Amino acid sequence: MLIKKTTLTALLSSVMFTAGMSSVVAEQETVGDFTRGAKAWSQNCIRCHNVRDPKELRDDQWITTTFHMRIRAGLTGQEVRDIIAFLQQSN
Amino acid sequence: MNTQYFRFSVLACALGLASISSTYAATDIEKLQAEVDELKQKVEQAAEWKKPKTLIHLAGFADVGYTDADNSPSTFNLGTFAPIFHYQFSDLVMLEGELEFEINATGATSVSIDYLTVDIFVNDYMAFVGGKFLSPLGQFRQNLHPSWINKVASAPAGFGHDQAAPNAEVGIMLRGGFPLGGNSANYAIYVGNGPFLEWDAADGEVHAIETPGIGTDVDGKKVVGGRFGYYIPDTTFEFGLSYASGKASLKDGSTYEEGRDYDVTGVDFTYRPGNFDIRGEFIKQEYGTLATSTYDTAGGIWEAWYVQAAYKFLPSKWEAVVRYGEYDTPHASQDVEQWVAGVNYLFASNVIGKVNYEFNDNPNAGQTANDRVLLQLAYGF
Ligand code: HEC
Repeated sequence: MLIKKTTLTALLSSVMFTAGMSSVVAEQETVGDFTRGAKAWSQNCIRCHNVRDPKELRDDQWITTTFHMRIRAGLTGQEVRDIIAFLQQSN
Repeated sequence: MNTQYFRFSVLACALGLASISSTYAATDIEKLQAEVDELKQKVEQAAEWKKPKTLIHLAGFADVGYTDADNSPSTFNLGTFAPIFHYQFSDLVMLEGELEFEINATGATSVSIDYLTVDIFVNDYMAFVGGKFLSPLGQFRQNLHPSWINKVASAPAGFGHDQAAPNAEVGIMLRGGFPLGGNSANYAIYVGNGPFLEWDAADGEVHAIETPGIGTDVDGKKVVGGRFGYYIPDTTFEFGLSYASGKASLKDGSTYEEGRDYDVTGVDFTYRPGNFDIRGEFIKQEYGTLATSTYDTAGGIWEAWYVQAAYKFLPSKWEAVVRYGEYDTPHASQDVEQWVAGVNYLFASNVIGKVNYEFNDNPNAGQTANDRVLLQLAYGF
Protein backbone atom coordinates (compact mmCIF):
# COMPACT_ATOMS: atom_id res chain seq x y z
CA MET A 1 0.00 0.00 0.00
CA LEU A 2 2.84 2.33 0.93
CA ILE A 3 4.44 1.74 -2.48
CA LYS A 4 1.23 2.61 -4.27
CA LYS A 5 0.91 5.78 -2.24
CA THR A 6 4.47 6.94 -2.89
CA THR A 7 4.23 6.07 -6.59
CA LEU A 8 0.95 7.90 -6.89
CA THR A 9 2.22 10.97 -5.02
CA ALA A 10 5.35 11.09 -7.17
CA LEU A 11 3.41 10.80 -10.41
CA LEU A 12 0.75 13.24 -9.33
CA SER A 13 3.20 15.88 -8.18
CA SER A 14 5.22 15.56 -11.38
CA VAL A 15 2.10 15.94 -13.51
CA MET A 16 0.99 18.98 -11.50
CA PHE A 17 4.46 20.48 -11.68
CA THR A 18 4.67 19.89 -15.43
CA ALA A 19 1.23 21.41 -15.98
CA GLY A 20 2.16 24.43 -13.88
CA MET A 21 5.40 24.94 -15.72
CA SER A 22 3.97 24.56 -19.22
CA SER A 23 2.26 27.96 -18.94
CA VAL A 24 5.71 29.50 -18.37
CA VAL A 25 7.13 27.44 -21.22
CA ALA A 26 4.63 28.90 -23.67
CA GLU A 27 6.32 32.30 -23.29
CA GLN A 28 9.89 31.06 -23.26
CA GLU A 29 12.50 32.23 -25.73
CA THR A 30 14.16 29.50 -27.70
CA VAL A 31 17.30 30.96 -29.20
CA GLY A 32 20.53 31.23 -27.28
CA ASP A 33 22.06 34.63 -26.58
CA PHE A 34 25.86 35.04 -26.60
CA THR A 35 26.06 37.86 -24.00
CA ARG A 36 23.69 36.24 -21.54
CA GLY A 37 25.49 32.95 -22.20
CA ALA A 38 28.90 34.43 -21.35
CA LYS A 39 27.50 35.63 -18.01
CA ALA A 40 25.71 32.36 -17.17
CA TRP A 41 28.85 30.41 -18.15
CA SER A 42 31.13 32.50 -15.92
CA GLN A 43 28.69 32.19 -13.00
CA ASN A 44 27.84 28.49 -13.29
CA CYS A 45 30.61 26.55 -14.97
CA ILE A 46 33.01 27.09 -12.06
CA ARG A 47 30.62 26.04 -9.28
CA CYS A 48 31.85 22.43 -9.09
CA HIS A 49 35.06 22.12 -11.08
CA ASN A 50 37.81 24.10 -12.79
CA VAL A 51 36.46 25.98 -15.76
CA ARG A 52 36.80 24.00 -18.99
CA ASP A 53 38.31 25.85 -21.95
CA PRO A 54 35.67 26.65 -24.65
CA LYS A 55 38.33 25.63 -27.21
CA GLU A 56 38.45 22.11 -25.76
CA LEU A 57 35.40 20.80 -27.61
CA ARG A 58 33.62 20.98 -30.97
CA ASP A 59 30.22 22.66 -31.43
CA ASP A 60 28.26 19.38 -31.23
CA GLN A 61 30.25 18.18 -28.21
CA TRP A 62 29.38 21.37 -26.34
CA ILE A 63 25.70 20.58 -26.90
CA THR A 64 25.90 17.13 -25.25
CA THR A 65 28.19 18.40 -22.50
CA THR A 66 26.02 21.40 -21.62
CA PHE A 67 22.86 19.24 -21.56
CA HIS A 68 24.73 16.80 -19.28
CA MET A 69 25.64 19.75 -17.04
CA ARG A 70 22.05 21.01 -17.14
CA ILE A 71 21.05 17.86 -15.24
CA ARG A 72 23.98 18.06 -12.82
CA ALA A 73 23.83 21.75 -12.11
CA GLY A 74 20.08 22.42 -12.17
CA LEU A 75 20.33 24.93 -15.02
CA THR A 76 17.24 26.17 -16.85
CA GLY A 77 16.68 25.39 -20.53
CA GLN A 78 17.26 29.04 -21.46
CA GLU A 79 20.57 29.16 -19.54
CA VAL A 80 21.66 26.06 -21.47
CA ARG A 81 20.77 27.58 -24.87
CA ASP A 82 22.61 30.80 -23.92
CA ILE A 83 25.69 28.93 -22.68
CA ILE A 84 25.77 26.77 -25.84
CA ALA A 85 25.59 29.93 -27.99
CA PHE A 86 28.52 31.37 -26.02
CA LEU A 87 30.65 28.20 -26.16
CA GLN A 88 29.99 27.56 -29.85
CA GLN A 89 31.10 31.08 -30.74
CA SER A 90 34.15 30.94 -28.49
CA ASN A 91 35.69 27.63 -29.60
CA MET B 1 58.18 41.02 -98.35
CA ASN B 2 55.54 43.69 -98.91
CA THR B 3 54.05 45.45 -95.97
CA GLN B 4 50.52 44.55 -96.89
CA TYR B 5 51.26 40.84 -96.71
CA PHE B 6 52.99 41.35 -93.39
CA ARG B 7 49.98 43.22 -91.95
CA PHE B 8 47.67 40.46 -93.15
CA SER B 9 49.79 37.76 -91.54
CA VAL B 10 49.85 39.59 -88.19
CA LEU B 11 46.09 40.01 -88.31
CA ALA B 12 45.56 36.35 -89.14
CA CYS B 13 47.85 35.34 -86.30
CA ALA B 14 46.08 37.61 -83.86
CA LEU B 15 42.70 36.28 -84.93
CA GLY B 16 43.92 32.71 -84.63
CA LEU B 17 45.29 33.32 -81.15
CA ALA B 18 42.09 35.02 -80.10
CA SER B 19 39.99 32.14 -81.30
CA ILE B 20 42.28 29.59 -79.59
CA SER B 21 42.17 31.53 -76.33
CA SER B 22 38.38 31.79 -76.51
CA THR B 23 38.14 27.96 -76.86
CA TYR B 24 40.47 27.64 -73.92
CA ALA B 25 38.36 30.08 -71.91
CA ALA B 26 35.19 28.16 -72.70
CA THR B 27 36.58 24.79 -71.54
CA ASP B 28 38.17 26.41 -68.48
CA ILE B 29 34.93 27.96 -67.40
CA GLU B 30 33.08 24.68 -67.92
CA LYS B 31 35.69 22.85 -65.87
CA LEU B 32 35.58 25.49 -63.19
CA GLN B 33 31.79 25.38 -63.18
CA ALA B 34 31.86 21.58 -62.72
CA GLU B 35 34.34 21.93 -59.86
CA VAL B 36 32.20 24.59 -58.17
CA ASP B 37 29.12 22.40 -58.56
CA GLU B 38 30.94 19.46 -57.01
CA LEU B 39 32.20 21.63 -54.16
CA LYS B 40 28.72 23.01 -53.59
CA GLN B 41 27.40 19.48 -53.29
CA LYS B 42 30.17 18.58 -50.84
CA VAL B 43 29.48 21.67 -48.71
CA GLU B 44 25.78 20.83 -48.67
CA GLN B 45 26.60 17.26 -47.65
CA ALA B 46 28.95 18.45 -44.89
CA ALA B 47 26.36 20.90 -43.57
CA GLU B 48 23.80 18.11 -43.60
CA TRP B 49 25.84 16.25 -40.97
CA LYS B 50 26.80 19.31 -38.97
CA LYS B 51 23.48 19.36 -37.21
CA PRO B 52 22.15 15.81 -37.00
CA LYS B 53 19.33 15.12 -34.56
CA THR B 54 21.36 12.46 -32.79
CA LEU B 55 24.63 13.46 -31.15
CA ILE B 56 27.18 11.02 -29.75
CA HIS B 57 30.00 12.05 -27.43
CA LEU B 58 32.50 10.02 -25.42
CA ALA B 59 33.79 11.78 -22.30
CA GLY B 60 35.04 10.52 -18.93
CA PHE B 61 38.01 10.50 -16.61
CA ALA B 62 40.93 8.37 -15.49
CA ASP B 63 43.51 8.44 -12.74
CA VAL B 64 46.71 6.68 -11.77
CA GLY B 65 48.27 6.85 -8.34
CA TYR B 66 50.68 5.78 -5.65
CA THR B 67 49.91 5.22 -1.96
CA ASP B 68 52.33 4.85 0.93
CA ALA B 69 50.43 4.00 4.14
CA ASP B 70 51.76 3.54 7.70
CA ASN B 71 50.27 0.10 8.16
CA SER B 72 50.57 -1.47 4.72
CA PRO B 73 53.16 -1.76 1.94
CA SER B 74 53.44 1.12 -0.51
CA THR B 75 51.76 0.53 -3.84
CA PHE B 76 51.14 1.92 -7.29
CA ASN B 77 47.52 1.85 -8.29
CA LEU B 78 45.50 2.20 -11.43
CA GLY B 79 42.75 4.08 -9.75
CA THR B 80 39.96 4.40 -12.22
CA PHE B 81 39.12 4.42 -15.89
CA ALA B 82 35.62 5.82 -16.25
CA PRO B 83 34.34 6.44 -19.77
CA ILE B 84 31.10 8.41 -20.03
CA PHE B 85 28.75 7.88 -22.98
CA HIS B 86 26.45 10.67 -24.09
CA TYR B 87 23.77 10.02 -26.68
CA GLN B 88 21.39 12.88 -27.30
CA PHE B 89 18.31 13.05 -29.49
CA SER B 90 17.48 16.65 -30.36
CA ASP B 91 16.84 18.71 -27.22
CA LEU B 92 14.43 16.09 -25.97
CA VAL B 93 16.29 13.04 -24.71
CA MET B 94 19.74 12.22 -23.41
CA LEU B 95 21.29 8.95 -22.35
CA GLU B 96 24.17 9.37 -19.93
CA GLY B 97 26.13 6.35 -18.83
CA GLU B 98 29.38 6.00 -16.92
CA LEU B 99 31.27 2.74 -16.62
CA GLU B 100 33.96 2.29 -14.00
CA PHE B 101 36.90 -0.04 -14.71
CA GLU B 102 39.23 -0.92 -11.85
CA ILE B 103 42.12 -3.32 -11.33
CA ASN B 104 42.04 -5.25 -8.06
CA ALA B 105 44.84 -6.74 -5.95
CA THR B 106 44.96 -10.00 -7.97
CA GLY B 107 45.20 -8.13 -11.27
CA ALA B 108 41.63 -8.82 -12.35
CA THR B 109 39.62 -6.01 -13.90
CA SER B 110 36.19 -5.21 -12.54
CA VAL B 111 33.59 -3.18 -14.40
CA SER B 112 30.57 -1.53 -12.88
CA ILE B 113 27.88 0.84 -14.07
CA ASP B 114 28.46 4.01 -12.08
CA TYR B 115 25.28 5.48 -13.52
CA LEU B 116 23.06 4.92 -16.53
CA THR B 117 20.01 7.08 -17.07
CA VAL B 118 17.62 8.13 -19.79
CA ASP B 119 16.79 11.80 -19.29
CA ILE B 120 13.82 13.55 -20.82
CA PHE B 121 13.87 17.34 -20.91
CA VAL B 122 10.24 17.95 -19.96
CA ASN B 123 10.41 21.74 -20.10
CA ASP B 124 12.87 24.54 -19.32
CA TYR B 125 12.63 23.91 -15.58
CA MET B 126 12.44 20.16 -15.31
CA ALA B 127 14.14 17.02 -16.54
CA PHE B 128 12.91 13.50 -15.88
CA VAL B 129 15.72 11.07 -15.08
CA GLY B 130 15.16 7.31 -14.98
CA GLY B 131 17.64 4.50 -14.32
CA LYS B 132 20.64 4.22 -12.02
CA PHE B 133 21.80 7.65 -10.90
CA LEU B 134 24.32 9.03 -8.39
CA SER B 135 22.53 9.92 -5.18
CA PRO B 136 21.40 13.55 -5.42
CA LEU B 137 21.74 13.90 -1.62
CA GLY B 138 24.61 16.20 -0.63
CA GLN B 139 27.36 17.28 -3.03
CA PHE B 140 30.38 14.97 -2.85
CA ARG B 141 28.98 11.83 -4.53
CA GLN B 142 27.17 13.59 -7.37
CA ASN B 143 29.39 16.60 -8.01
CA LEU B 144 32.89 16.07 -6.68
CA HIS B 145 33.86 12.39 -6.81
CA PRO B 146 35.50 12.32 -10.30
CA SER B 147 39.24 12.49 -9.68
CA TRP B 148 39.85 15.50 -11.98
CA ILE B 149 37.29 17.43 -9.87
CA ASN B 150 38.12 16.19 -6.35
CA LYS B 151 41.00 18.35 -5.10
CA VAL B 152 42.21 15.54 -2.83
CA ALA B 153 43.23 12.04 -4.00
CA SER B 154 40.86 10.37 -1.52
CA ALA B 155 37.16 10.73 -0.71
CA PRO B 156 36.44 12.47 2.61
CA ALA B 157 36.13 10.02 5.54
CA GLY B 158 32.65 8.51 5.42
CA PHE B 159 32.01 9.54 1.81
CA GLY B 160 33.45 6.40 0.16
CA HIS B 161 31.53 3.34 -0.98
CA ASP B 162 28.90 2.10 1.50
CA GLN B 163 29.82 4.52 4.26
CA ALA B 164 27.78 7.45 5.59
CA ALA B 165 26.89 9.15 2.29
CA PRO B 166 24.43 7.33 0.01
CA ASN B 167 26.16 6.46 -3.30
CA ALA B 168 23.54 5.69 -5.90
CA GLU B 169 19.91 4.84 -6.50
CA VAL B 170 17.86 2.92 -9.03
CA GLY B 171 14.61 4.73 -9.63
CA ILE B 172 13.22 7.90 -11.14
CA MET B 173 14.04 11.52 -10.45
CA LEU B 174 12.83 14.97 -11.42
CA ARG B 175 15.42 17.73 -11.37
CA GLY B 176 16.06 21.21 -12.64
CA GLY B 177 16.43 24.86 -11.76
CA PHE B 178 14.24 27.94 -11.66
CA PRO B 179 14.41 31.62 -10.68
CA LEU B 180 13.34 32.25 -7.08
CA GLY B 181 13.16 35.53 -5.22
CA GLY B 182 15.58 37.29 -7.57
CA ASN B 183 18.09 34.41 -7.24
CA SER B 184 18.18 30.91 -8.64
CA ALA B 185 17.33 27.60 -7.02
CA ASN B 186 17.88 24.01 -8.06
CA TYR B 187 16.13 20.84 -6.97
CA ALA B 188 16.14 17.05 -7.29
CA ILE B 189 13.32 14.77 -6.08
CA TYR B 190 13.53 10.99 -6.44
CA VAL B 191 11.85 7.68 -5.67
CA GLY B 192 14.17 4.68 -5.61
CA ASN B 193 14.71 1.12 -4.44
CA GLY B 194 16.72 2.33 -1.45
CA PRO B 195 19.52 0.53 0.39
CA PHE B 196 19.90 -2.68 2.39
CA LEU B 197 21.63 -3.32 5.72
CA GLU B 198 24.54 -5.73 5.34
CA TRP B 199 24.61 -8.28 8.17
CA ASP B 200 28.05 -9.48 9.24
CA ALA B 201 27.45 -12.96 10.70
CA ALA B 202 31.03 -13.27 12.04
CA ASP B 203 30.82 -10.07 14.10
CA GLY B 204 27.08 -10.36 14.75
CA GLU B 205 26.39 -6.78 13.64
CA VAL B 206 25.02 -4.69 10.80
CA HIS B 207 28.30 -3.99 9.06
CA ALA B 208 27.19 -1.21 6.69
CA ILE B 209 24.29 0.52 5.02
CA GLU B 210 24.84 -0.55 1.42
CA THR B 211 23.81 2.03 -1.17
CA PRO B 212 25.28 0.87 -4.51
CA GLY B 213 21.97 1.39 -6.34
CA ILE B 214 20.29 -1.99 -6.09
CA GLY B 215 18.65 -3.44 -9.19
CA THR B 216 15.75 -5.18 -7.42
CA ASP B 217 13.81 -3.84 -4.48
CA VAL B 218 13.55 -6.99 -2.38
CA ASP B 219 11.46 -5.44 0.41
CA GLY B 220 9.17 -3.64 -2.03
CA LYS B 221 9.40 -0.44 0.05
CA LYS B 222 10.65 2.62 -1.78
CA VAL B 223 12.76 5.52 -0.55
CA VAL B 224 11.64 9.06 -1.43
CA GLY B 225 14.00 12.01 -1.10
CA GLY B 226 15.72 14.97 -2.65
CA ARG B 227 17.89 18.01 -2.38
CA PHE B 228 17.10 21.70 -2.64
CA GLY B 229 19.90 24.15 -3.46
CA TYR B 230 19.80 27.94 -3.26
CA TYR B 231 22.32 30.70 -4.09
CA ILE B 232 22.78 33.61 -1.67
CA PRO B 233 22.99 36.18 -3.19
CA ASP B 234 24.54 34.61 -6.31
CA THR B 235 26.37 31.46 -7.36
CA THR B 236 29.42 32.44 -5.26
CA PHE B 237 27.60 30.91 -2.28
CA GLU B 238 25.39 27.84 -2.59
CA PHE B 239 23.55 26.21 0.25
CA GLY B 240 21.88 22.78 -0.02
CA LEU B 241 19.45 20.77 2.11
CA SER B 242 18.92 17.04 1.59
CA TYR B 243 16.38 14.65 3.00
CA ALA B 244 15.19 11.11 2.22
CA SER B 245 12.92 8.65 3.96
CA GLY B 246 11.69 5.10 3.41
CA LYS B 247 12.42 1.54 4.46
CA ALA B 248 15.55 -0.63 4.42
CA SER B 249 15.87 -4.36 5.12
CA LEU B 250 18.59 -6.26 6.86
CA LYS B 251 20.23 -8.72 4.47
CA ASP B 252 21.90 -11.93 5.62
CA GLY B 253 23.25 -13.76 2.55
CA SER B 254 20.15 -14.15 0.43
CA THR B 255 17.69 -13.71 3.32
CA TYR B 256 15.98 -10.37 3.82
CA GLU B 257 14.16 -9.24 6.94
CA GLU B 258 11.11 -7.05 7.04
CA GLY B 259 11.91 -3.40 6.22
CA ARG B 260 12.66 -0.88 8.98
CA ASP B 261 12.55 2.90 8.96
CA TYR B 262 15.39 4.54 7.06
CA ASP B 263 16.15 8.29 6.93
CA VAL B 264 18.85 10.52 5.49
CA THR B 265 19.46 14.16 6.38
CA GLY B 266 22.16 16.41 4.98
CA VAL B 267 23.34 19.99 4.58
CA ASP B 268 26.04 21.24 2.25
CA PHE B 269 27.57 24.52 1.12
CA THR B 270 30.02 25.94 -1.41
CA TYR B 271 31.65 29.35 -1.07
CA ARG B 272 34.09 30.68 -3.69
CA PRO B 273 35.43 34.14 -2.83
CA GLY B 274 38.29 35.14 -5.20
CA ASN B 275 40.81 32.33 -5.61
CA PHE B 276 39.37 30.33 -2.71
CA ASP B 277 37.11 27.32 -3.09
CA ILE B 278 35.60 26.40 0.28
CA ARG B 279 33.03 23.66 0.71
CA GLY B 280 31.66 21.34 3.28
CA GLU B 281 28.81 19.02 4.07
CA PHE B 282 27.23 16.90 6.76
CA ILE B 283 25.30 13.71 6.03
CA LYS B 284 23.54 11.26 8.31
CA GLN B 285 21.94 7.91 7.45
CA GLU B 286 19.99 6.10 10.12
CA TYR B 287 17.82 3.03 10.36
CA GLY B 288 15.25 2.29 13.05
CA THR B 289 14.67 -0.47 15.56
CA LEU B 290 12.81 -3.68 14.71
CA ALA B 291 11.37 -5.44 17.78
CA THR B 292 10.73 -8.66 15.84
CA SER B 293 14.26 -8.90 14.41
CA THR B 294 16.06 -12.18 15.01
CA TYR B 295 19.38 -10.47 14.17
CA ASP B 296 19.53 -7.04 15.76
CA THR B 297 16.58 -5.16 17.23
CA ALA B 298 18.52 -1.92 17.70
CA GLY B 299 18.75 0.96 15.20
CA GLY B 300 21.98 2.57 13.95
CA ILE B 301 23.42 5.88 12.78
CA TRP B 302 26.19 6.41 10.19
CA GLU B 303 27.22 10.03 9.88
CA ALA B 304 30.08 12.08 8.44
CA TRP B 305 31.07 15.65 7.72
CA TYR B 306 33.99 17.54 6.21
CA VAL B 307 35.14 21.06 5.44
CA GLN B 308 37.62 21.70 2.63
CA ALA B 309 39.44 24.85 1.59
CA ALA B 310 41.50 25.21 -1.58
CA TYR B 311 43.43 28.22 -2.84
CA LYS B 312 44.72 28.75 -6.40
CA PHE B 313 47.99 30.72 -6.61
CA LEU B 314 47.06 32.38 -9.90
CA PRO B 315 48.53 33.00 -12.42
CA SER B 316 50.75 30.03 -11.49
CA LYS B 317 49.41 26.50 -11.85
CA TRP B 318 49.73 25.65 -8.17
CA GLU B 319 46.90 25.05 -5.76
CA ALA B 320 46.95 24.25 -2.01
CA VAL B 321 44.22 22.31 -0.25
CA VAL B 322 43.33 21.31 3.34
CA ARG B 323 40.42 19.14 4.42
CA TYR B 324 39.19 18.03 7.82
CA GLY B 325 36.49 15.41 8.31
CA GLU B 326 34.97 12.98 10.80
CA TYR B 327 33.19 9.68 10.27
CA ASP B 328 31.06 8.14 13.02
CA THR B 329 29.38 4.73 12.94
CA PRO B 330 27.90 2.35 15.53
CA HIS B 331 31.24 0.44 15.34
CA ALA B 332 34.19 2.20 16.96
CA SER B 333 36.62 0.30 14.70
CA GLN B 334 35.24 2.03 11.56
CA ASP B 335 35.35 5.60 12.92
CA VAL B 336 37.89 8.10 11.57
CA GLU B 337 39.05 11.65 12.29
CA GLN B 338 40.95 12.83 9.25
CA TRP B 339 43.14 15.76 8.22
CA VAL B 340 44.51 16.09 4.69
CA ALA B 341 46.98 18.67 3.43
CA GLY B 342 47.85 18.76 -0.24
CA VAL B 343 49.49 20.56 -3.10
CA ASN B 344 48.10 20.28 -6.63
CA TYR B 345 49.63 21.18 -9.95
CA LEU B 346 47.13 22.01 -12.70
CA PHE B 347 48.75 20.95 -15.99
CA ALA B 348 45.45 22.10 -17.48
CA SER B 349 42.06 22.76 -15.92
CA ASN B 350 41.19 19.08 -16.46
CA VAL B 351 44.62 17.52 -15.80
CA ILE B 352 45.70 17.64 -12.21
CA GLY B 353 48.67 16.22 -10.28
CA LYS B 354 48.15 15.82 -6.51
CA VAL B 355 50.50 15.24 -3.58
CA ASN B 356 48.60 14.67 -0.33
CA TYR B 357 49.43 13.81 3.25
CA GLU B 358 46.48 12.22 5.07
CA PHE B 359 46.43 11.99 8.89
CA ASN B 360 43.96 9.32 10.10
CA ASP B 361 43.18 8.89 13.79
CA ASN B 362 40.55 6.86 15.54
CA PRO B 363 40.37 7.88 19.19
CA ASN B 364 37.11 5.90 19.58
CA ALA B 365 39.08 2.68 19.05
CA GLY B 366 42.28 4.01 20.67
CA GLN B 367 44.18 4.11 17.33
CA THR B 368 46.37 6.95 16.13
CA ALA B 369 48.69 7.61 13.24
CA ASN B 370 47.30 5.51 10.44
CA ASP B 371 48.67 8.06 8.00
CA ARG B 372 49.05 7.90 4.23
CA VAL B 373 50.96 9.71 1.49
CA LEU B 374 48.90 9.82 -1.69
CA LEU B 375 50.09 10.77 -5.17
CA GLN B 376 47.67 10.98 -8.05
CA LEU B 377 47.51 12.09 -11.65
CA ALA B 378 43.95 12.63 -12.87
CA TYR B 379 42.65 13.50 -16.32
CA GLY B 380 39.07 14.43 -17.22
CA PHE B 381 38.31 14.21 -20.92
C1 HEC C 1 26.78 21.00 -10.03
C2 HEC C 1 28.15 20.81 -10.36
C3 HEC C 1 28.60 21.14 -11.77
C4 HEC C 1 28.42 22.33 -12.44
C5 HEC C 1 27.74 23.60 -11.94
C6 HEC C 1 29.03 22.13 -13.75
N1 HEC C 1 29.61 20.90 -13.83
FE1 HEC C 1 30.61 20.16 -15.44
N2 HEC C 1 30.83 18.39 -14.47
C7 HEC C 1 30.35 18.10 -13.19
C8 HEC C 1 30.63 16.72 -12.89
C9 HEC C 1 30.30 16.01 -11.59
C10 HEC C 1 31.27 16.19 -14.02
C11 HEC C 1 31.79 14.79 -14.21
C12 HEC C 1 30.73 13.91 -14.75
C13 HEC C 1 30.99 12.50 -14.39
O1 HEC C 1 32.14 12.09 -14.26
O2 HEC C 1 30.00 11.79 -14.23
C14 HEC C 1 31.38 17.26 -14.99
C15 HEC C 1 31.96 17.12 -16.25
C16 HEC C 1 32.15 18.14 -17.15
C17 HEC C 1 32.87 18.02 -18.40
C18 HEC C 1 33.53 16.75 -18.92
C19 HEC C 1 32.65 16.06 -19.89
C20 HEC C 1 31.44 15.44 -19.29
O3 HEC C 1 30.32 15.79 -19.72
O4 HEC C 1 31.57 14.63 -18.37
C21 HEC C 1 32.84 19.24 -19.01
C22 HEC C 1 33.46 19.61 -20.34
C23 HEC C 1 32.08 20.12 -18.15
N3 HEC C 1 31.69 19.42 -17.02
C24 HEC C 1 31.79 21.44 -18.42
C25 HEC C 1 30.89 22.21 -17.67
C26 HEC C 1 30.28 23.43 -18.14
C27 HEC C 1 30.51 24.06 -19.51
C28 HEC C 1 29.49 23.88 -17.12
C29 HEC C 1 28.57 25.08 -17.11
C30 HEC C 1 27.43 24.97 -17.98
C31 HEC C 1 29.60 22.93 -16.01
N4 HEC C 1 30.45 21.93 -16.40
C32 HEC C 1 28.99 23.08 -14.77
C33 HEC C 1 29.75 18.98 -12.32
C34 HEC C 1 29.36 20.26 -12.64
